[in-house]
Amino acid sequence: MLAVLGSAGMLAGLVGAALLVRRGIAAARSDRPANLEGAVRVLVAGAVVAMGAMVLALLTDDFSLVYTANHHAIATPFPFDVATAWAALEGSIVLWGLVLTGYTWLVFHLHRRSPDRLGAAALAVMGGVAIFFFGLMITVANPFEVCVQAADIGCLESSPWPFAAVEAPANGPGPNPLLQNHFMMAVHPPILYLGYVGMTVPFAYAIGALSLGVPGPEWLRRSHRATLVAWSFLTLGIVLGAWWAYEVLSWGGYWAWDPVENASLMPWLVATAFLHSGIVQQRRGMLQAWNFILVISTFSLTILGTFLTRSGTINSVHSFTQSAIGPALLGFLVLTLVGSFVLFSTRSDLMATSPRLESLVSREGTFLVNNLLLSVYAFIVLIGTTYPLILEAFTGTQVGVGEPFFNRLAVPVSFLLLLVIGFGPVTPWRTTEKGLIWRRTRTSAVAALGAGLLIAILVSRNGWVVLAVTLGTFVIATLLGLLWEQARKRSMRTGDSHSRSLQRVVTGDGAFWGGQLSHAGVVLVAIGIAFAGNLGEHAETDLSPGETTTFQGYTVTYESPFRKTTPGKTIVGARLTVTRGDDVVGIVEPSWNYFGAQSVVGTPDVLHRPGGDLYFTLRDLPDEQGAIPIAFDTSPMIWVLWLGGLVAVTGGVVAMAARRRERRPAVEAQTVDV
Amino acid sequence: MSERLRNVVTIGLLVVMATVLVVLVATSPTDTDRVQAIGERIKCPVCQGESIANSPSPMARDMMGLVAERVADGGSDEAIVDELLASYSGAVLLDPPARGWTLLLWIAPLVALGAGAGVILWWRRHPVEPAPVTASDEVTGRRRLVPLLVLVGAFAGIVVVAGFFLQERAGPATGAADLAGEELDDVSNETMEAVIAANLDDPEVDGMRLALAERYYQAGDYRSAFPHYLEVAESDDATESQAVAALIRLGWMAWDGNAEVDAAVGLFDQALAIDAGSATARYLKAQVLWCGAAAYEQAAGLFEAVLSDPELPEESRDLVEADLAAVNSGASCT
Amino acid sequence: MNRGIRWVGYGIALAAVVFAVVLASRFGTDPGLVDSPLLGQPAPMFELPPLEGGETISLGDLEGEIVVVNFFASWCLQCRNEHADLTSTADAFADQGVTLVQIAYQESPPASLQYLEVAGRSPSALYLADPGSRTAIAYGVFGIPETFFIDEEGTVVGKIIGESDALTLGATIDAIKRGESPGQNVTGDTQQAPDG
Repeated sequence: MLAVLGSAGMLAGLVGAALLVRRGIAAARSDRPANLEGAVRVLVAGAVVAMGAMVLALLTDDFSLVYTANHHAIATPFPFDVATAWAALEGSIVLWGLVLTGYTWLVFHLHRRSPDRLGAAALAVMGGVAIFFFGLMITVANPFEVCVQAADIGCLESSPWPFAAVEAPANGPGPNPLLQNHFMMAVHPPILYLGYVGMTVPFAYAIGALSLGVPGPEWLRRSHRATLVAWSFLTLGIVLGAWWAYEVLSWGGYWAWDPVENASLMPWLVATAFLHSGIVQQRRGMLQAWNFILVISTFSLTILGTFLTRSGTINSVHSFTQSAIGPALLGFLVLTLVGSFVLFSTRSDLMATSPRLESLVSREGTFLVNNLLLSVYAFIVLIGTTYPLILEAFTGTQVGVGEPFFNRLAVPVSFLLLLVIGFGPVTPWRTTEKGLIWRRTRTSAVAALGAGLLIAILVSRNGWVVLAVTLGTFVIATLLGLLWEQARKRSMRTGDSHSRSLQRVVTGDGAFWGGQLSHAGVVLVAIGIAFAGNLGEHAETDLSPGETTTFQGYTVTYESPFRKTTPGKTIVGARLTVTRGDDVVGIVEPSWNYFGAQSVVGTPDVLHRPGGDLYFTLRDLPDEQGAIPIAFDTSPMIWVLWLGGLVAVTGGVVAMAARRRERRPAVEAQTVDV
Repeated sequence: MSERLRNVVTIGLLVVMATVLVVLVATSPTDTDRVQAIGERIKCPVCQGESIANSPSPMARDMMGLVAERVADGGSDEAIVDELLASYSGAVLLDPPARGWTLLLWIAPLVALGAGAGVILWWRRHPVEPAPVTASDEVTGRRRLVPLLVLVGAFAGIVVVAGFFLQERAGPATGAADLAGEELDDVSNETMEAVIAANLDDPEVDGMRLALAERYYQAGDYRSAFPHYLEVAESDDATESQAVAALIRLGWMAWDGNAEVDAAVGLFDQALAIDAGSATARYLKAQVLWCGAAAYEQAAGLFEAVLSDPELPEESRDLVEADLAAVNSGASCT
Repeated sequence: MNRGIRWVGYGIALAAVVFAVVLASRFGTDPGLVDSPLLGQPAPMFELPPLEGGETISLGDLEGEIVVVNFFASWCLQCRNEHADLTSTADAFADQGVTLVQIAYQESPPASLQYLEVAGRSPSALYLADPGSRTAIAYGVFGIPETFFIDEEGTVVGKIIGESDALTLGATIDAIKRGESPGQNVTGDTQQAPDG
């Protein structure tokens, strides 16, 4: 029954998408009022029904569905049974479809009263993308296939016809153990998808604008908030993913430059460039061609990322199992890239409406440099990730490209970006009068070097740490200086108190200050990475029950081994007491998790301290005498990283929620312009 | 304080602070853990993408142990890395070397940065006035658009289809051989012995046994052939024709190799019990009786029975008739 | 400028097409599969103790023989499946100048011995321990089972990745006896660690 329901949902989605495309194109072409509501409703309903059917099947242990039979087990606890809906390939496409229809609905409601040709065109594009994803669901990645021949566990043969004679197995193997370890599995993928899929919105508006031949800032303005929403979710998704890897997956690392991680970073970098570059176009009307290139690239990179994750062409910890979805995704990628850029080229005569760039030392100039750096950064990640593939295709040689390569290039680029973040907000639009930037940054420069010296003397002389703190302080100090300066000016002008002026300045331009908050978040991330990555300590030892050892000023005692059995997994681990002096700092329980049919996963335990985390991992199972090899790691100040990530996301939210500024064409605004 | 003085003081302060900072950082004790540094360049071959320095897996730790050993022996970084490359190939390097094909990786980002900067500077110098958009532009644009999009769609379709075909050929070559269907001419006797010994439970193994035993038999190696024929004869899975063939060979080897008449006759009788019409069994039994036991009458009877089979080939008929004549005349066999 | 923009657009489109073709060419290949650099090279020397302990045995002791080096462990499903085939091959070729050497991978000798008690041994084969995995590293083992074939001159001429069977093993040995170099043969998946 659920298979029928789900299949009906998918079909409805496809029909709705097709209708939307047809009607959207018709509406975009003419000035007649469009009735797109029906199409959108069918589309959304289809996606909701499909997802609902899937979740219901998982919650009710309905093993007649192949997806449930092969990925779910009766013993899987909540919320992991629901999370199984996106743990495997077919389900993840359904999630994509659901999020996409959600965004389509959003665009529909932003669609103005007719006639709104741009809105209709954008909806048509979103419908087109939906056709692809629902088409995928119905053909190569069908989650509602029914099981026609069961094995003891799982399904042997399936059929896409929902009315076929069903033979359901009694149980399934359950989700991959790595995905059952932590509640983050229920949270991280949907958030990441909200980011990824959200990038379809500005892309749709851009293609709409290109197709209609109406460049100019309208498409940007209308999609700007959606871009901010998507960017915020993408940032949050990446940060959560890093945190999950760090807390749970016993790599001790939050970022490994794994191809799938890179697949999420590339669109983020280009989306960030697009966000900034879009501001320039909205303000000054320039960089139009560049914005089109950026937004098309952002969307294409999300598709490329999906392809790399699911096609089996690249080895990764995250890889879904290979399936026929690879060629389909590749075909769609080609269609998108080639179609969009050909369209772009045929409209090239509409691009150059740019006013002159009067001086490189201007806000536009810093945005240009920022664009360049972010694009080069994305390019580095792209070639690093795909080079082994390309080289092997052409020459047959096999090479590996990993952390050392990416770090070597990403770190300098990141520091350059920090520098630009520092200077950018204090550089005025168009031209800068002589000495203005110097006046605005000289104090913060001193403060920055002072902070650097403090760190070098009191904490560490490690070059990266010092540089991160120095540049970070520069950025924040400059920012605070700017805030102070504006508040002061306003106070002088209006007579309000300082604090009231401060408040007014910030709320007066929420978009700008939200962005600065994000910058502050980025600074914190850089500092967190610098500290944790360079000042961490590591030690390993064998401990028998009752034995004690010391590490970084803490005393660690192996109290006893323990064993816990829960439905679905058995946990075998060591209980350790950590003390400093006379105080018990904490009790940690690193362990091995045994999952029934499948395998063993090592789980670390982390002690969070203000100065940084203490990280405990079991290196091996206990030997005959019961001694366990334990690894200790410190991650100094790593909470700064997580805090910075959250602050960056918050900045995005603030910017998105800000009141719209009055748009004055290319004239220095009075109150908050610099 | 005048602006100028303030500037001078600030610059002076900045210079001093920066210098001190740079000196402090440059003279910081760099803890070169060579083992760790080398380990971070090598990918753990049994993990996904981690370096052997950072991976918790036992194999990675063993490899780090090897690196530590080599470092302690005084090996250079490059020599140690090369040693691991010689075993694992370049795929295990996390840090692409700055030579050969991977030089491109080192250069490309710099080229990109330079190109981008160049574009910005060029654009600064050569701004272009916007071209007036005329109606005809829009129309021709659309006219060019449609065929181009059709082309693009066609190409995307080709990529997809090609991808599906390429995927069809996917999967590594499976070495597991179908016992019955393999081309066995090139395979040595030892290999066949090994296959048989490894597949005793497989019902197909009798065919292979017969084939191998036949080889031994033709080479005159009765000793090696014997156990296989015996196994086939006693096997529950052997087909009737296989059992008959085995019994016949056993019978002949018993006579030809050991001159055991009774054993041979008994074996031929077992064959005939399964297949009463077996001409070969009768014929050979007759031969043994004639040559070994001088039982002329029994032999003659058997020869006649063979001749009465309408499906007996012509060449064999002559032979049997000659034998019958010899027996009837009382001659001893040759 | 407009013309420049136009060519940029077409250029990116063309690059995308080339990129897609390259990616498409990788379908159907296993991205994790590595060609062993040892093929055609002298086999790495080893000197290892038997599982039961005692005097070490080195590759040099087997000079002039065809040596089949197999890495195994009791936790490896494919290794268990192929064990009987390896043993019967060792028996069949015992007098033909072929020696099977089975080396335990990432497993303690007592565990391997216990496994072999049940799985069986060939009297003509050698069962060695590999402390510190030095030999596994030297042979570039990515996972087990992996089986290396060394000819009479001590050159690595063949490698089987994955579960093998008596026919493949025997056919490979036959080929080496004829003077051929069978090269690398992938028969299936390998296991990299006890937990899969």
